[in-house]
Amino acid sequence: MVMRSLVSVVDDDESVRESLPDLLREFGFAAQAFSSAEEFLASDYVGQTRCLILDIAMPGMSGPDLQHELTSRRQEIPIVFITAHRDETVRPRVLAQGAVECLFKPFTEAALLEALDAALEVR
Amino acid sequence: MHTDIDDRKRAEALLAGEKRLLEMVAGGYSMSGILEAVCQLVESTASGCYCSVVLVDPSGTRLEHGAAPSLPASFITSIIGRPVNVDSGPCAMASYLNEQVIAPDLTSETRWAAYAWCPMALAHGLRACWSTPISSTAGKVLGAFAIYYDEPKTPTSLHQSLIEQFTHIASIAIERAQSETALRRSEAFLAEAQHLSRTGSFSYPVATDEITWSGELYRIFELDRAVPLTNELIYSRIHPEDIPFIREMMDRARGGDVVDFECEYRLQMPDRSVKYVHTVAHGTRDQNGRLECIGAVQDVTERRLSEEALGKVRSEFAHVARVTSLGALTASIAHEVNQPLSGIITNASTCLRMLAADPPNVEGARETARRTIRDGNRASDVITRLRTLFSKRDVTTESVDLNEATREVIALSSNELQRNRVVLRPEFADDLPPVTGDRVQLQQVILNLLLNASEAMSGVDDRPRRLVIRTERDEDDFVRLAVQDAGVGFEPQGVERLFEAFYTTKSGGMGIGLSVSRSIIESHHGRLWAAPNDGPGATFSFSIPRRHESVNGAGSLGAIWTPAVADAQ
Repeated sequence: MVMRSLVSVVDDDESVRESLPDLLREFGFAAQAFSSAEEFLASDYVGQTRCLILDIAMPGMSGPDLQHELTSRRQEIPIVFITAHRDETVRPRVLAQGAVECLFKPFTEAALLEALDAALEVR
Repeated sequence: MHTDIDDRKRAEALLAGEKRLLEMVAGGYSMSGILEAVCQLVESTASGCYCSVVLVDPSGTRLEHGAAPSLPASFITSIIGRPVNVDSGPCAMASYLNEQVIAPDLTSETRWAAYAWCPMALAHGLRACWSTPISSTAGKVLGAFAIYYDEPKTPTSLHQSLIEQFTHIASIAIERAQSETALRRSEAFLAEAQHLSRTGSFSYPVATDEITWSGELYRIFELDRAVPLTNELIYSRIHPEDIPFIREMMDRARGGDVVDFECEYRLQMPDRSVKYVHTVAHGTRDQNGRLECIGAVQDVTERRLSEEALGKVRSEFAHVARVTSLGALTASIAHEVNQPLSGIITNASTCLRMLAADPPNVEGARETARRTIRDGNRASDVITRLRTLFSKRDVTTESVDLNEATREVIALSSNELQRNRVVLRPEFADDLPPVTGDRVQLQQVILNLLLNASEAMSGVDDRPRRLVIRTERDEDDFVRLAVQDAGVGFEPQGVERLFEAFYTTKSGGMGIGLSVSRSIIESHHGRLWAAPNDGPGATFSFSIPRRHESVNGAGSLGAIWTPAVADAQ
C-alpha cells in the first residue's frame, strides 16, 4: 500500500479545520488539522508532515513564527500560507522567507492543488 | 487830552484791526503771523511802545518765542528758554503766577535780580515793562503778552482794556494752533496705526457715491490719492472673480437690506498679484435718514496665505485619516467574511468530489453540504454583527424646530461659507411646525448639504455663489428643507449614484456623506433627494413628517449608522 503524504493544516478557524482536511483527503493526501502552532509542534506529526498549510494570523504563535521555529529546528517542511487578510505586501514577504505559496481566503480548489504540487516537488 | 473824535477813530481802527485778526485766525494763518500782527496793531495804537508774546512750552517749565516784531533779537534770545518762575523775569513771573506784572520803572526795580533781568533790559534801552498772562478758555496759562516803553510808564485804563482785548485774541490764535498741532499728531498716529495694522478706512454715503478713503486704503488698493475715486477705478482693483459677490453686496447695501456687513474678498493688482482683504462695515443714518457706511478694510493677505497652507495640510490629513480608517474598516469586514467564504468554497469543492466518486460518497457529501450551509450562516451572522456594531447608538427623539436647528448650522459653517465666498440666503417659513427626531443627526445632514453645496460652487467664478436654504411645509403633514446651489450640478442620469456610498463627483470629496445623510433621513421616516435647477446648480431636499403629539417615543425611529456621519463634517 502506498503511503499517502501527510498534509497538516494549522488554522484557528474551525471551518477551515473541518473542511480542508476532507478536501485534502479527496485529493488523495492524508490530512491532520491543528488549531494552533503550539498544538502542531507538540504533536507527533511534525516529522511526518510533507506539507504544511498554515494560517498567518493566529492567537499566540503566528504562522510566520512557526515557520521560523521550524527552520531553527531544521524541520524543512514546505509551507503554503493561507490568510483571510488580503494584504498584498504579505505574500512577497513570506515567499522571501521560503514559503512555497501564499493563498488568500477564499481560494479555489485549483489554486490549492497547484500550491500542493509545487510544495511536494520542492522535496 | 483826547477828543471824542480821536476816541471814536481809535475805536474804529481797533475794531477794524480786531476784525482783521479774527479773519486771520479763521483763515488758517500761521500762529506766529497772527501774533506778530497783534503786536503791530497794539504798537500802532499805543504809540511809543514795543510788544512781545512769549509762549509757555508744552511741559509748562520754559519760555518759548512767540512774536516780537519791533524788539531787538538779542533781547528776545536772552528771554527765550528762561524758566517759568517768579525770579527769571516779568513774563516768566506773569506766566507762573497767572497774574499781570507791572514794572513802571526798571531803574528802581528790585525783582528778578537773581537773573539780572533789569540790567539786561536797560542795556536794550527799555525802562518799563507790563506783562500779562495769556490764558486758555480752560484757564491754563499759554504764555504772556508784554508791552515795553523806553521811558518810565504806568498803564492807564485805556491801556488795560487794549491789553485785555489783545491777550484774548492771542489766546484764540495760540489755542487754535495748539489744537491743530494735536489734531495733526493724532492724525499721524492714526495713519501710523493704520499702516502698522494694514487697515484702511472709508466712509461711503450710499446715496451719493462720494466715497472718502484713508491714506492706508489707497496704499492697500495701490491707487493714487490725487486721482478722484470712482466706482470703475475701485472695481478695477477687485479680483474679477469676486466682482459679482461685491456687486451683490453693494446692491444689498444700497437697497438698505444690509446695514452691517463683514466679508472677505480678493483684490488684483495691475501686476496680477492677489491681495486678500477683510472688510467690516457699519451703516448709520444721518438726521435726514440717509444711509452712510463707515468701514474698515484690512489687508489679510499674509494671514490668509498661511491659513490656506494650514487648511491644505489639514484637509490632506483629514483625507488620509478618512481613507485609512475606511481602509481598516474594509479590511476587517473582508477578513470576517472571507473566513466563512473560504469554508463554503472548500466544502462545496469537497462535496462535488465526493458526489463524483465511484461510488458516490453520499454520506460525506451530505456532511459537507451541511457545513456549507453552516458557513453560509456564519457569513450572514458576520454581516448582522457589523450592522449592530454600526448602529449601537440609540437615536434620541425630541421635538426639533428645523429653522432654529438650521440657524445653528449656518452659524457653525458661516466661516467656511465666507471663505468660499458663498452668499447665503436663508428663506425660512414662519409657521414651520416642529418635527420629531434626533436634532444632532438632522443638523449633520443639513451641514453636509450646506458644505456639499458650497463645495459644488468652489469652481464657479462667472456668477455669484448664491446658496439658498429654504424651509417650508410640504404636503401630507411633512416639513421640507431645501438647499439650492448655483454650482456645477450633475448629470440627470447620475442622480441615484450620488447617494451610493463612496460615490463622488468631487476631486477632494467624500461620497459617503450623502448616503449616510439619506439613511439618517430615512430613519426619520422621510426622504432625501436631489434635482437639477432650471438654471445652474442643483437642489438637495429632504422632507420629514411633522411632529404629532401621539408619537410614541424612542421606539419609533430605527437604529441608524452613526460613525461615518463624522465624515460629513
